[in-house]
Amino acid sequence: MKRISWIDIAGGIVVVAILALAPVFAASNYLTGVLTVCVIYGIWASSWDFMSGLTGRENFGHSLFIGAGAYTAGFMATIWFTNPWYSIPASIVVAVTFSLIVGFPTLRLRGPYFALAMLSASAILQRLCLIFWEYTGGEEGLYGLDPMMRSPLHYYWFVLAILVVTVIILTLLARSHWGLLLRAIRGDEATCQAAGINVTFYKIAALAISAAFAGLGGALYAHYQLQVSPPLFSVVTSITVIIMCYVGGIGSIYGAAIAAILLTLLTEMLRGFGEYRLWIYTLTLILILFFLPNGMVAPFWRRLTERFR
Amino acid sequence: MTALLEVNDVTKRFGGLTAVKGVTFKLQKGEITGVLGPNGAGKTTLFNMLTGFMQPTAGTVTFNGEPLKNLAPYQVVNRGMARTFQLCRPFVGMNLLENVVVACLSPRANSDKDKEDRAQHLLEQVGLGGRGSEPVETPPYGDLRRLEIARALATRPDLLLLDEPFAGLGSSEIEPLAQLIKKLHREEHLTILLIEHKLREFMALVSRVIAMNFGEVIAIGPPEEIVKNPKVIEAYIGKTEDAHASA
Repeated sequence: MKRISWIDIAGGIVVVAILALAPVFAASNYLTGVLTVCVIYGIWASSWDFMSGLTGRENFGHSLFIGAGAYTAGFMATIWFTNPWYSIPASIVVAVTFSLIVGFPTLRLRGPYFALAMLSASAILQRLCLIFWEYTGGEEGLYGLDPMMRSPLHYYWFVLAILVVTVIILTLLARSHWGLLLRAIRGDEATCQAAGINVTFYKIAALAISAAFAGLGGALYAHYQLQVSPPLFSVVTSITVIIMCYVGGIGSIYGAAIAAILLTLLTEMLRGFGEYRLWIYTLTLILILFFLPNGMVAPFWRRLTERFR
Repeated sequence: MTALLEVNDVTKRFGGLTAVKGVTFKLQKGEITGVLGPNGAGKTTLFNMLTGFMQPTAGTVTFNGEPLKNLAPYQVVNRGMARTFQLCRPFVGMNLLENVVVACLSPRANSDKDKEDRAQHLLEQVGLGGRGSEPVETPPYGDLRRLEIARALATRPDLLLLDEPFAGLGSSEIEPLAQLIKKLHREEHLTILLIEHKLREFMALVSRVIAMNFGEVIAIGPPEEIVKNPKVIEAYIGKTEDAHASA
């Protein structure tokens, strides 16, 4: 519906080129590893932004889908010893199933039920991982997953390609009539109903799409770390993703992806500060959100490119 | 000929309060009917029950020969009954055109190829032509009311329910809006049911009035009879000392 302007495409190509070439010039496995995690966070954040950023229904348990995807990969690798590539479709199916289980009863309702249900569902799964430690490995998690590719650099490029495809699909959806309906839900649900729109259906469908990409990201993460553990399900994971989306500029999708990459890099760079790291990170976030309540990445990009549109 | 809308003994209770009590009436195709009554008479509650925003405690609503029971509001809309709200509720963060496009995407409206074209056409029809790219936050209230009507029309209604279309409008905005409603009735063969407080505009517009007070229908008839009806006068002016003019 809305055309994507050439400047956005050009900007996207430049960013992807920088990301793709950075590890070639720096040639360090450490950097490749950090960037892989950055890009996976990008997938998680942009998938959150698609559902919650557009419809305004905050999902406080995105880690449910991330963890479900990762543990699916973990179980497949450690119990059935399947080819790592099968983890991708399996994790998507499992994450979408979870999204329907939570979405059906709670997205019919207005109010905070959905946010709370997602939060509790992710917390419950984290507990279940500890309770059924015989199967899940408890705190230790599951070990010994096979990598999808030998070369970390190739895997990084693969994950980066998935992020690019994710952002493109979600952006096209967001700019289509579908996205318009999701933004209408954010505006006013009663008016949506009066316009003849089945609000619940669109919310559940958006959540399922969001879950599919989050679960995929979870599996990619599992096959990068070669290990999965309960903190994947934690609230911290969910909140981290939400903060990334706010810094990126809610509802912009590409903003969430880029903010995820920048913030993950920032956390890594602050490692040298030891214990002060969290302080600096938190302070930076507070400053960003205080001075730029609409986010940083997307508004900045829009202003920068205003005259080319 | 069967009626387009049949409301049979509809009642709504909120705990101990009966907001609407045993309301019965019929609407024929092509009528403009008004629901009249002082504040708290149950008019909006009645509208909410007709449009699926509330379920009646008792009684039935039949539309186009089919009962509307336990339908969600969007399902009622897709059967051909659209409404506007008393307080305009546009989709914020969108422009006027997008506001109408949303309704053009409803299953009932979905036959058109180009939703933007149709939305543009609807905006012209309600007098907002050429203003599609304006953000919804800027226009005056009267234009938002027109936008609400365009959004309702997008769903191709057989019956249009207008909840106080003149509420909150300036005196210069009222007459053109009344003309618009008349024009839509004439050109689109719409059946219209509207709630109103403002007696003068109302009486000039409608061919039949359903007068309500305290949740009950107290009189049904052509406007010239209704204004002479003692029960209606009592409800509006009060009996003796309780003089409270609402028009």
